Amino acid sequence: MASVIVSFELSGREVEVMVKPMTTLQAVLRTQLGHTAVKDGCRQGGCGSCTVLVDGEPMLSCLLPVQDIAGRRVTTVEGLTPAEGLHPIQKAFLEANGFQCGYCTPGMVLLAKALLDHNPEPGRDEIVDALAGNACRCTGYDPIIEAISKAAATAAAGAAR
Amino acid sequence: MTTESGAGLHTVGRSVERYDGVGFVTGRTQYAADLTFPRMLHLKVVRSPSHHARIRGVDLSEAQEVPGFVRALTHADVPHNVYTILGLIGVEPEEEFVLPVDRVRYKGEPIVAILAETEAAAYEAVAKVRLDLEELPAVFDMDEALAPGAPVVTHWGNNTFMYEGHECRRVRYGDVEAGFAAADAIVEGEYRTSPIEHAPLETTGCIAVPEANGRFTVHTNSQAIYFSLDNTSIILQLAANRLRFIGGTVGGGFGGKVDVIVEPLATLGAMLTGRPVRYVYSRSEEMQVSSTRSAEIIRIKDGVMADGTIVARKVTGMADCGAYSRQTPYAITKFAANATGPYRIPNAWVDAYCVYTNRTPTSAMRGFGVTMGHFAVEVQMDKIARLCGLDPWTVRFRNAHRNGDIKPHRKATADATLIETMQAAAELVGVELAPELRAMTSAPRDAVASAPRDAVAPAPRDAQEGDR
Amino acid sequence: MTVSHYYLPASVPEALGLLGAHGPELLVIAGGTVAMPLINEGISLPVRVMGLRRAGLDGIERTGDELRIGATATLTGLLALDAIPMLREAAARVAGWSVRNMATVGGNLFTPPPGGDVATALLALGARAVVTGPAGDREVPLAGFWTGFMTNDLASDELLTGIVVPLEPGRATCVKFGRKQANTPAVVTVAVHLAMDEDGETVRTARIALGAAGPHPVRMARAEAALAGTRLEPAAIAESAAAAAADCEPFTDAVASEWYRRRMVAVFVGRALTVLAQPASPASGRGA
Repeated sequence: MASVIVSFELSGREVEVMVKPMTTLQAVLRTQLGHTAVKDGCRQGGCGSCTVLVDGEPMLSCLLPVQDIAGRRVTTVEGLTPAEGLHPIQKAFLEANGFQCGYCTPGMVLLAKALLDHNPEPGRDEIVDALAGNACRCTGYDPIIEAISKAAATAAAGAAR
Repeated sequence: MTTESGAGLHTVGRSVERYDGVGFVTGRTQYAADLTFPRMLHLKVVRSPSHHARIRGVDLSEAQEVPGFVRALTHADVPHNVYTILGLIGVEPEEEFVLPVDRVRYKGEPIVAILAETEAAAYEAVAKVRLDLEELPAVFDMDEALAPGAPVVTHWGNNTFMYEGHECRRVRYGDVEAGFAAADAIVEGEYRTSPIEHAPLETTGCIAVPEANGRFTVHTNSQAIYFSLDNTSIILQLAANRLRFIGGTVGGGFGGKVDVIVEPLATLGAMLTGRPVRYVYSRSEEMQVSSTRSAEIIRIKDGVMADGTIVARKVTGMADCGAYSRQTPYAITKFAANATGPYRIPNAWVDAYCVYTNRTPTSAMRGFGVTMGHFAVEVQMDKIARLCGLDPWTVRFRNAHRNGDIKPHRKATADATLIETMQAAAELVGVELAPELRAMTSAPRDAVASAPRDAVAPAPRDAQEGDR
Repeated sequence: MTVSHYYLPASVPEALGLLGAHGPELLVIAGGTVAMPLINEGISLPVRVMGLRRAGLDGIERTGDELRIGATATLTGLLALDAIPMLREAAARVAGWSVRNMATVGGNLFTPPPGGDVATALLALGARAVVTGPAGDREVPLAGFWTGFMTNDLASDELLTGIVVPLEPGRATCVKFGRKQANTPAVVTVAVHLAMDEDGETVRTARIALGAAGPHPVRMARAEAALAGTRLEPAAIAESAAAAAADCEPFTDAVASEWYRRRMVAVFVGRALTVLAQPASPASGRGA
């Protein structure tokens, strides 16, 4: 079983990993590259806690052989967090208490980023549709939806100034 | 808002940012399975495919040949193999096997643990263990489990947890038969609830790490760190001061992470290999094998007067604890104490059974024992209301307990607020209560309601915003 | 994982070469949304796997009166299509956003029931599978593509490379009934395409496809015949719905029982046809 070398862009820098064939991006990020914000809830594509952005689009890293994304740009919550302070979406989640146990939060934050990049002023239905593939067992979802609405509103207010 | 002394409140009444929120939104929070240690081994267990079977043999020869296989853990490796989680609070007997010896009692019960260099090797070795099982008749239904001739799950010969020599938790108060004879009507109901899986987003798991000083540090997502530590100490016959359990953020518990299941085996593995051992459930293990809320069957027979007051209640409650009782004996005790709800019922008879079947063991979940009981109690109240031609508010007000009422388990009601809460609720939803109900209070029944009791009259309080 | 080789061919000829070299031993995956869960769980233990993400099969193009969809075009790609609103509707109901970014149209043809919502819609649209082998391309009407539960018309040296969807005027709708509002497997999926007479009100031919009501997406011939020549009167709709419910072969699984599925076939065939019986309007939710 020969290992292969895969390189891709992670959090703005090029990384190179050696993997057994078909190792998932989730396994690479969590166990080889220390990006444990990418969570491991099911490995079935059912919970969304492993969500990452590939070239800005949300995908489930547990279903993605890392070889498939060679040369692509991968973003995790580690990549979204600035060196100091918080990304505005993270701030919005904090202010809206958009979490309880926190396990779904990285996935939700990345979805929010992707959604607002596509659609800066989503209505509630559009937010719900964007989140449909990500489970939260704690909050009942409303605080998360509110956090994203808040993030959108704050960005809009900032843009308007 | 001010207190009576006039001091300002700085936190009450404000929205406060959670101190651990930054960890969540940045993903920096460490959950048990996020950690990794040098030379860490992966533990996966071989699980029974059968609901009930005699174990005739376990063949590890093929598994041992898998590259990366390190060793297996069998029941012979476990110093104190039979335990009960609640043993620490005096519950007996010890009944659950860390690894069973001659019989499996539920589908998914772990039989052998495999330690390997990688997760893939552990899965491969698990798949290559050959089990020789002789199927036994299994029982999945509580009524069947209690009937004569049922397959026996426990090692003491019947399918009930024994409460001080009795097959059920019993509450006896007054004379229910006399109450039924005096009643205007008898109202019966049977209420059933299903098992519910907690399905936390983070699966159960831990990593046990041997330290240089001979101690073991166990990083676990248990909701019950001290339970886990003390039970692990007993199971491994290791002084508790050689164990250091580190918990932290639990990625969803809801009561599903209070059983001591993964820590003993992982720590045993660390003891026997000298290496860190990781034992984390897959999602299908979490769904199939981790404990659930128990299913219950609650049968209520009430003697009711025409005005809706309940004068006698006989309850038979059963919780299906599955193959091992875990926290369910406690659930049943709580149920027995709550079988009359927040109502004053002068004659009560409760038999509450913790019933063993060959189902997945059940345990704690969000008010277990009480929540299911209250579902039954409240639906029964609505049934009584309908049969007496009353609305649901009236029947509850008329039966509501008051301070000083003695509950069937011999505790005096204190701090009763059902009546006041219902009055406030009615106002909030725009329900006009009859004068009889509006006049009620939780004051003791035999008190002279208007008699002043305070030696010093309380100081008048200025009206505040939000006062009604 | 037991995989010794994972191939990512950069072209169809290269993919066919690998298929020819390794035959039935080679597991072919596209989006991975069906195969990876099984591999991750250790239920599927492939030794050689071929992924199709790089093989150049993800395009969608409209040529005259046909839509040619590459086998690995994603469901998200379908959502960008204006040409067939009903197909967009079917894709929008599958799983969640991330899965739609990965799951492919071709892969949906191989998704076991109760999955296969997009395949069901394609069946109702009269689509054809484009199958490529060493001898070149051939086309198979989807109605003949599936031969049984998880079996199909492909030879072991052939690859599904695309789906051709005729752009036929008429009325079409797709409705999925699940236990949740989103991210939910189907209790039943109903897809309908009606070709109308010149008067625009009489049904010339109908195609009714059901998902999660058989071993694969199925057409309901008797239900279709009940509509031909009618003006979608309530009685015709009721007869069609009853025929579909009687003829389908639903199964019991964790999502729903056979009993319930059969009843929901009647309900949702009826609802789909009732929607199509309304006068056309921009909001009517139909359109080929």
